[in-house]
Amino acid sequence: MADAPTISVTPLPRARRGWRLFLFYSSAVLLTGLVSMLFADLLWRTGWSTSRTVLLSLFIILFLLTAIGCMHGVYGFFIRIFGTKRCITALKSYQEQKIDGVSTAIVFPIYNEDPVRFFEGLRATYESLERTGQLDRFDFFILSDSTNPDRWVEEERRWSDLVRELDALGKIYYRRRLFNEERKSGNIRDFLNTWGRRYRYFVCCDADSVMRGETLVDLVKLMEASPTVGLIQTMPALVNAESLFGRIQQFANRLYAPVFISGLNYWALDLGNYWGHNAIIRTEPFMQFCDLPQLPGRKPFGGQILSHDFVEAALMLRENWEAWLAYDLEGSYEEAPQSLIENAQRERRWCQGNLQHGLVLFAKGLRGVSRMHLLLGIFGYVASPLWLAFMLTFNWIYWYQKFTGLSDIPVESFNPYLKNWSGTEHAFLVFMICMIVIMLPKFLSLVDLARDWPRRRAFGGLLNATAGVVGETIFSTLHAPLLMLWHTRFVITNLAGISVGWTTQRRNAAGTDWLYAVQRHWGHTLIGVVWGWFTWQLDPTLFWWFTPMLAGMVLSVPLSVLTSRRSLGARARSAGLFLTPEETKPPMEIVSLRSRLKIHELTENADAPRRPHAGLAEAVLDPYVNAVHVMLLREKELNPVYAEQFARLGAGSDAVRLLGEKILADGPDKLKPSERVAVMADQRVMVWLHQQAWLRPEEKLAPWWKAMIREFSHREN
Amino acid sequence: MEPTLKILPDVSGQIAGRSLEEWNAAYVKVENYFHALRIRNKPLLGRMVLRVLERAQQRAPAEPSRSATELAAEEMDKFVTEWFAAVLQISPAGTDQMLSTRGRLALLLCDMPGKWQDQFLRPGPWPEEFVEAMRETFFRAGPDFQLSKMVPRPLDLGPITTLSNFGKLPYVRMISAWLLFGLLLVAIFWFTHGGFDRVKSQLSLMLESVTHLNR
Repeated sequence: MADAPTISVTPLPRARRGWRLFLFYSSAVLLTGLVSMLFADLLWRTGWSTSRTVLLSLFIILFLLTAIGCMHGVYGFFIRIFGTKRCITALKSYQEQKIDGVSTAIVFPIYNEDPVRFFEGLRATYESLERTGQLDRFDFFILSDSTNPDRWVEEERRWSDLVRELDALGKIYYRRRLFNEERKSGNIRDFLNTWGRRYRYFVCCDADSVMRGETLVDLVKLMEASPTVGLIQTMPALVNAESLFGRIQQFANRLYAPVFISGLNYWALDLGNYWGHNAIIRTEPFMQFCDLPQLPGRKPFGGQILSHDFVEAALMLRENWEAWLAYDLEGSYEEAPQSLIENAQRERRWCQGNLQHGLVLFAKGLRGVSRMHLLLGIFGYVASPLWLAFMLTFNWIYWYQKFTGLSDIPVESFNPYLKNWSGTEHAFLVFMICMIVIMLPKFLSLVDLARDWPRRRAFGGLLNATAGVVGETIFSTLHAPLLMLWHTRFVITNLAGISVGWTTQRRNAAGTDWLYAVQRHWGHTLIGVVWGWFTWQLDPTLFWWFTPMLAGMVLSVPLSVLTSRRSLGARARSAGLFLTPEETKPPMEIVSLRSRLKIHELTENADAPRRPHAGLAEAVLDPYVNAVHVMLLREKELNPVYAEQFARLGAGSDAVRLLGEKILADGPDKLKPSERVAVMADQRVMVWLHQQAWLRPEEKLAPWWKAMIREFSHREN
Repeated sequence: MEPTLKILPDVSGQIAGRSLEEWNAAYVKVENYFHALRIRNKPLLGRMVLRVLERAQQRAPAEPSRSATELAAEEMDKFVTEWFAAVLQISPAGTDQMLSTRGRLALLLCDMPGKWQDQFLRPGPWPEEFVEAMRETFFRAGPDFQLSKMVPRPLDLGPITTLSNFGKLPYVRMISAWLLFGLLLVAIFWFTHGGFDRVKSQLSLMLESVTHLNR
């Protein structure tokens, strides 16, 4: 870099950071070693075999992952008790930092999102920032990649409405890409290539992100105070969940995450990670080092890097820039899926991206900690098929033992303390240890809550929070086997390079409908029933051990439907279950967002069926929307990159003009979707269409236009 | 100056050589457009439509082949564009269709439907505040470009690169065929040297267990 940063933050000495990493992971390894010995001893008691070697190997991997999770909870808990100076907010007294003359862009990459929710979220963030008095230092960018023409036009209309309402012309900008190459990372790159050099920092948000103004200002101050920091990731709190599923996830996020992330920060420190949104990034190094190359080979591993965030953080760290988790900064929010199926759809996308990291893992020059982040991300999905393999191997051993005629040779435990224990008691001990390792972080999160009176009250009191943890644990026990089956499927299909298309979820106001749930879960139910029958035949005692896992599978349809219900979410809320601080004492940004969404719900009939090509009709017939649309196209043409893309679309050519004529005479149905987009991307044709649609006598227009003109003439707004 | 026109039907029940039904259709067409411009004040709306129709009726005798709706729509477009040119101080002669677009955008940004309905299509002079609002509205979807180009740095994936390009390695298909052939030989050897019997005994064991389960 030409302007190498001067180091002002005292980074932790490498040896000491190494010590932290060693201590943390050694704790997990130690625990895994001890419990694995105990498990091996149990297997030894019934005679060793190859399948037992496989079972033990799988146990070691799975237990190690669980132990790492548990250590995050344990370390995080003690850090929260004793405090730490090794977090970005404690390293510098940043509050007094001046940010005059510092320019920051807040960017929202969007892709066919619900425009109402998106624009109201943006409004909440904008107004919150305005209240800080620091609005002048920020610009907002809506970076649309929407491919649906209806969404495209609606975004333009709502953007122009919003900037007029907020008097934010020249503060909130809108840009839609003509070709959404390389998805979100390409979208950000396009922004940086066009405007990046104007801004020292940019804050990347998701379509559902809401950020408090003070938090945004704090992030900029932190960056200004720490010139070697390349990015700071906040810990977004889940908000606005209404279904039971959403509220359970939200509760778990708010209660457990502070403890877990404190543990993560213990070993990651300045080598933290990036989760793709609600984070501030130093533009210059990001532009220099974080443009993603194409990976060699074919899909699913080759080609474009899908989960770009982890890799971008790794590239930043490779160049000695720091990445921190500002986990104690409040005021960063996002939303989560509202049903099991929506959640699985998101998991499928992430699974593909995380598996691809298997290649990046071996890239030269990456920091060890970055490889650790990547590896943990990969195992987040690979653990599921391993768990399934573990269960199947166990069943195989049980079956083999029972029907080969080979008798059990119960030998005494190798461990002198367990010599008098029966095999069942020994197995129960291993099981209980596993349960403790899984549950301990949840318990510690509750203890952590009990210590903090205001926070305890924000969760509705300790009793309610405890009931919430019990409820969440029961739900996650039922949910886990479904995730296991889903993840296994995703991993296998991704590795095989098979694209699994999912139809758009059919939701009604209440949640997932029964028929759709049956379509998505019949396989889970069948596996649960067959597996249950098998274990019952083998040994009814074994069946009861497997009940929690089997129940999740067999009950998947009602579980999926009922937990997606808003009514059950509301009932749980009125019973004081799964309350979060944002529900008991909602911040102003969330209050504003929710009340505005309510107004939209009451004033706009969102469920009314929209005519096909309603966006095209609006862009042509509405005099104002047409003007906005045309001016946006016109401004974009000034950018040579877009000018070239317009040419690729044929804008300005006679062919597109002819398509315009065809659209008027025959209606939009007679054109292919790509042709309609070409027409809508040609500013001259759009001006001409507006004029012609209103000037021509009705008999020279397709019937569709007549209907649309009548509709426009009776619109009140 | 307001044009002086006959707005009453003649003896044959026509206005400017067109039937009342035709003028009614023309009225609806023009009214629809002004409605789309969010002119909600009924008297204002009616007055604007009538003024457009009067202009169309003036032209009508000279163009007998054209319908009243066509004439009215054209006059409406001309009338609005001329008004934009006057307010924005841009000569209408020789301008492309962008003048109308610019004018509509100015109307939107100065909030004509909310604040200035009474000024729309009114001949000047207009209130200073309105003229300023119309002329000074600027439209920016983004700040000035500051173009640059991000260049991806290649990731050295080491031996993984070779593995991911495995299919492109020379002779890989030939070597794969040899390996498959070798595997086939191994399979034949295994089956002919007791493997078949082992499979048979495993299957009978399974059958036995299923029978046992059913019992």
